[in-house]
Amino acid sequence: METHMTQEPHIARVFDRDLEAVQAIIMKMGGLVEDAILGASEALTARDEELAAKVRKNDAQIDALEDQVNTEAARVLALRAPAAGDLRTVLTVMKISANLERIGDYAKNMGKRTGVLAQMPAVDGTDGSLRRMAKAVQLMLKDVLDAYISRDAELAEDVRQRDREVDQMYNAIFREYLTHMLEDPRNITPCMHLHFIAKNIERMGDHVTSIAEQVIYLVTGEFPDEDRPKEDSTSFAGVDGTP
Amino acid sequence: MNDMRPLERMVNTDNIKISARNCHVFYGDTQAIKDVNVDIEDHTVTAFIGPSGCGKSTFLRCLNRMNDTIDICRVKGTFLIDGADIYDKSVDPVQLRAKVGMVFQKPNPFPKSIYDNVAYGPKIHGMARTKAELDEIVERSLRRGAIWNEVKDRLHAPGTGLSGGQQQRLCIARAVATNPEVLLMDEPCSALDPIATAQVEELIDELRAQFTVVIVTHSMQQAARVSQKTAFFHLGNLVEFGETGQIFTSPQDPRTESYITGRIG
Repeated sequence: METHMTQEPHIARVFDRDLEAVQAIIMKMGGLVEDAILGASEALTARDEELAAKVRKNDAQIDALEDQVNTEAARVLALRAPAAGDLRTVLTVMKISANLERIGDYAKNMGKRTGVLAQMPAVDGTDGSLRRMAKAVQLMLKDVLDAYISRDAELAEDVRQRDREVDQMYNAIFREYLTHMLEDPRNITPCMHLHFIAKNIERMGDHVTSIAEQVIYLVTGEFPDEDRPKEDSTSFAGVDGTP
Repeated sequence: MNDMRPLERMVNTDNIKISARNCHVFYGDTQAIKDVNVDIEDHTVTAFIGPSGCGKSTFLRCLNRMNDTIDICRVKGTFLIDGADIYDKSVDPVQLRAKVGMVFQKPNPFPKSIYDNVAYGPKIHGMARTKAELDEIVERSLRRGAIWNEVKDRLHAPGTGLSGGQQQRLCIARAVATNPEVLLMDEPCSALDPIATAQVEELIDELRAQFTVVIVTHSMQQAARVSQKTAFFHLGNLVEFGETGQIFTSPQDPRTESYITGRIG
């Protein structure tokens, strides 16, 4: 485990091992969640039900790791009374694991909907934008995990800003689906599922952003100001799809 | 959640009780305190933390001129209490110590009765004219020391017969009997068990309403529990001084971080 330690080791070495162990679980979770996003996206594009089922099944592993993080974090809090950077490490692993677990759930839900969509005729030209959006979120997740392990607040801030691109992609997809549904009512069922998938991916981006904020707090001791531009305007969209 | 807690924790920063400027302390050729500047607020518990030999006790002892009693010790700098220089020639150290009380690491009751332990200070400072007045001071002090209920039926038993935790609370009662304004505590709980420690910590929190409390402690958790302000000393320097919650979650100096997270001794 190559956790980047900003400082010399603790006098009690076992404390270092405890903190490194819990952070290793986070990295393992992160890897599984990245795989889940890519897998869910690929399963959707290829209408691969087997892969979609695998994504759904693998979510249990992510959930189990989250439990493990919580147990370990509670242990460290009770036994070590961590302070300063150590305290922020424990607080952030708990939140980050919760965010990762939620992202895993969204991927699992994509897998479920893929199973349904595979039974229906495809809606032309809708998969490409979802795939690009999922890829963008997966890259954000990869970068935020790198930022976490290297204690890089700048990279975390970069990830945080990139969420607006995901929001913009979601807005575009939202309008596209409205158009498809208006054109042909037979598109409504698949487009509803596809829309939930798009919304799931957009929410994944929000959770990655939340992880980025945790990384910034971990490194600097302060949460970033709430000046992040939000681009998801669909909450205000009218029936003509023009917010 | 109790919404009152943040308010309760808030410190009135307007009122500086003790102000130390450019303070240096030497033991012979060794410099124990190097240019320390600090403002300690009224009705606040301020904790001094730091590894052994960092100067925290030495600095504490400057505040009631206890270092005067050490021949080779030289103190330089300005120490003001309520704006008055406590090292001024006109200041009587004995009177100063009535105003700035002290509680030590080991409970050290006089080999006298519980009553006499507390009555001693008020008597020599002529604070009571009658026996009734003295009785009242003794009772009030023992109540402030949170030990009245345990000793009210045996005020004439020897103070040394009490348990360690009771002895320490007796010493706190003795220290507050002269109506001090500042209470200095040098490791007041290091010889006590966890229950007695909790009782003394609870007492410290109550004492804050009436006194300015400065406590030296090796237990960082104790500093975190009882104080509103924390000062970290290292090698004679005051490295960092700030709100306790901030020091323990986001210290600004890497040396503070290393110490409170158990990386340097």
